[in-house]
Amino acid sequence: MLQPKLKSKVRCTDCDIGEVSKVILDPLSHEISHIVVSMNGSGERQVMMAMVQEVAVDLVSLHVPSAEIVALPPFKRDDYVTTHEVEISHLEDRLDVVPGEILVPFPDLEKDVKRRTFFMNFTHVIGFLIGLPIAYPILRFIMKPMYAPFDNGWIQVGNVSKIKQDDVGTQFQYNKKVKEAYMPEADVEKSVWILKASSEVLEKFYEDKDQDFHDASGKVIWTNKKEFPYIAFSGKCPHLGCAFKWRKHKTLGQVFLCPCHLSIYDATGKILDGPAPRALDALPIRVSASGEVEIIDMEFKAGIKNQIRII
Amino acid sequence: MQQPTVSNEPSTTIEKIVDFLDARVGLKEIQAKMLNEPIPGGSRWAYVFGSILLFIFGMQALTGILLMFYYVPTADHAYASTQYIIHDVDYGWFLLGYHFWGSSAMVVCVIAHMSQVFLWGAYKPPRELLWLVGLALFGIVIGFGFTGYLLPWDQRAYWATTVGVEMVDKVPLFGDFLARFLKGGPTPGQMTLSRFFVIHVMILPAALMALAGLHLFLFRVAAPAGPFQGTPEEIKAKTDYFFPRQIWKDMVGMAAVFLTICGLAFWEPVVLLEEATPDPGEYHPEPEWYFLFYFQLLRLKMFAGEFGQFMGAVALPVLFMALLVALPFFDKDPERNIFKRPVALISWIFIMAVIAIFTVSSVINREFLD
Repeated sequence: MLQPKLKSKVRCTDCDIGEVSKVILDPLSHEISHIVVSMNGSGERQVMMAMVQEVAVDLVSLHVPSAEIVALPPFKRDDYVTTHEVEISHLEDRLDVVPGEILVPFPDLEKDVKRRTFFMNFTHVIGFLIGLPIAYPILRFIMKPMYAPFDNGWIQVGNVSKIKQDDVGTQFQYNKKVKEAYMPEADVEKSVWILKASSEVLEKFYEDKDQDFHDASGKVIWTNKKEFPYIAFSGKCPHLGCAFKWRKHKTLGQVFLCPCHLSIYDATGKILDGPAPRALDALPIRVSASGEVEIIDMEFKAGIKNQIRII
Repeated sequence: MQQPTVSNEPSTTIEKIVDFLDARVGLKEIQAKMLNEPIPGGSRWAYVFGSILLFIFGMQALTGILLMFYYVPTADHAYASTQYIIHDVDYGWFLLGYHFWGSSAMVVCVIAHMSQVFLWGAYKPPRELLWLVGLALFGIVIGFGFTGYLLPWDQRAYWATTVGVEMVDKVPLFGDFLARFLKGGPTPGQMTLSRFFVIHVMILPAALMALAGLHLFLFRVAAPAGPFQGTPEEIKAKTDYFFPRQIWKDMVGMAAVFLTICGLAFWEPVVLLEEATPDPGEYHPEPEWYFLFYFQLLRLKMFAGEFGQFMGAVALPVLFMALLVALPFFDKDPERNIFKRPVALISWIFIMAVIAIFTVSSVINREFLD
């Protein structure tokens, strides 16, 4: 069935009764639920679509007599709002009540389709000409300080006299001078755990092999000898980079414990419990005749089995 | 809206100004369109969270801009300038506290908003795009939280960032690049602070405003979903407009959130820890409370080792988000009643239970660390 159009004549079973002056939509189904019939000057009536028998191009036929329509209560405009005053999406999508189309002339100059395509492509070309040359500088700009060479200098961290007991982790705090880009040189507080190891612990730690340390090019810069009794562990937990501590555990005894995700390591740095993927990272260490401890401050990527040095 | 019956001559100055603007920009029609949005089945308290989130964002923007009057994003001044805001600037403690607790409120309301949409089945066709943009907004809110708490440059800030960035590092192939990009170098420092600052105050707000605008637009195009049960007649009979009943409920909700945040800012003021350094001293690093469950989750044995690490830090959150993204595309059953969607209901209860249990257990775990 066609949709009733505005200005269409309305005919009852006995006579013409007026014309369609408004249509009313159901906000849920988006269908026309009523038409409003303007009865040639004698008021408006709201007529249910159920009373409509047929809709032709200019004519809406009802299957009721005119007396029945006249008997309906007058249409109450205040019970409704126009579709401009309310936000119901797609309300007019399935609607065809406007008689005909409303048109504006299409300018003559716009009728050349080829030229429009050219201009569209031209816009894209200009866009690329602007975008491509700037993309690389932007990328380089925001990447500037991401990679830095390793610092293999020795740092003094304290005196071994601080260590009171064998096989017990002792924390040495030290300040590392850091010069970052344009910033003034700053002292960054860091810490390293140092152990005076008994021979069993040394054996367990070194497993009869000296430990080599490399620079960025893979060259050996230092070797921790397996008979040297001091072991230094980087203060950074190999799980996710928190700082671990030396703690008494109720079943495992004295251990290195990371408070973040509860990784637990024994005095040799081996994993006892928790989520860590590898043992603690040992650092190059040397001790002077007067007992001054020096280390090379290295950091390794956390969360992976292999040691990958990042500073 | 009543149809203007007689064209009254404007009398007061305000009416004249309104008429002047109305004639040029169609003010009254815009207002009518904004306010006259039918809400199928009528206004509800369950629908307040979207408006509340918009309100919280507005307040975060306001307090955030104010904080920038004094805050300096440099490694040597960030901590001191934040302390200055807290201790010396008039009402600095309040505005900073409001911004701090506002972020928590944002997370709570985002979870509530997402839960409501999920339980009501409102993500289902034709509202898939609305749901997707909502998920992007959820990501932005998490990004705000993560970048925001580095800015005071205290111990909490430093360790949350260290751990968070190490997790990003676990992304296959690009992880190292992403982590270095975020840090602006091999370790957290000035470049990290600069980057997080720009992301927090420029990139994320711009992204949030754009996507929230799109979210609202898509919401208006798709129209509210309405209740998940009831016949069309019942729903139609209870339908009202956005204004006044829903707006009233939204306003009450906003007032409650505002008072709660003010109360928290007043009774639980922000106290900075020691200034950030790679040596935490006696401090046990811990993230913000809304990340605690995840922090505790990463302590599980099942996430141990390199592969477990990848599963916990990367695969789990990515899979979870992917599942949420895919949700409206594989859940095509038009049934919206949550009591007739047992899998959805059980999943939601399960996720909430995991969050609750792991949050509580991380709090209990604190005792064993001291």
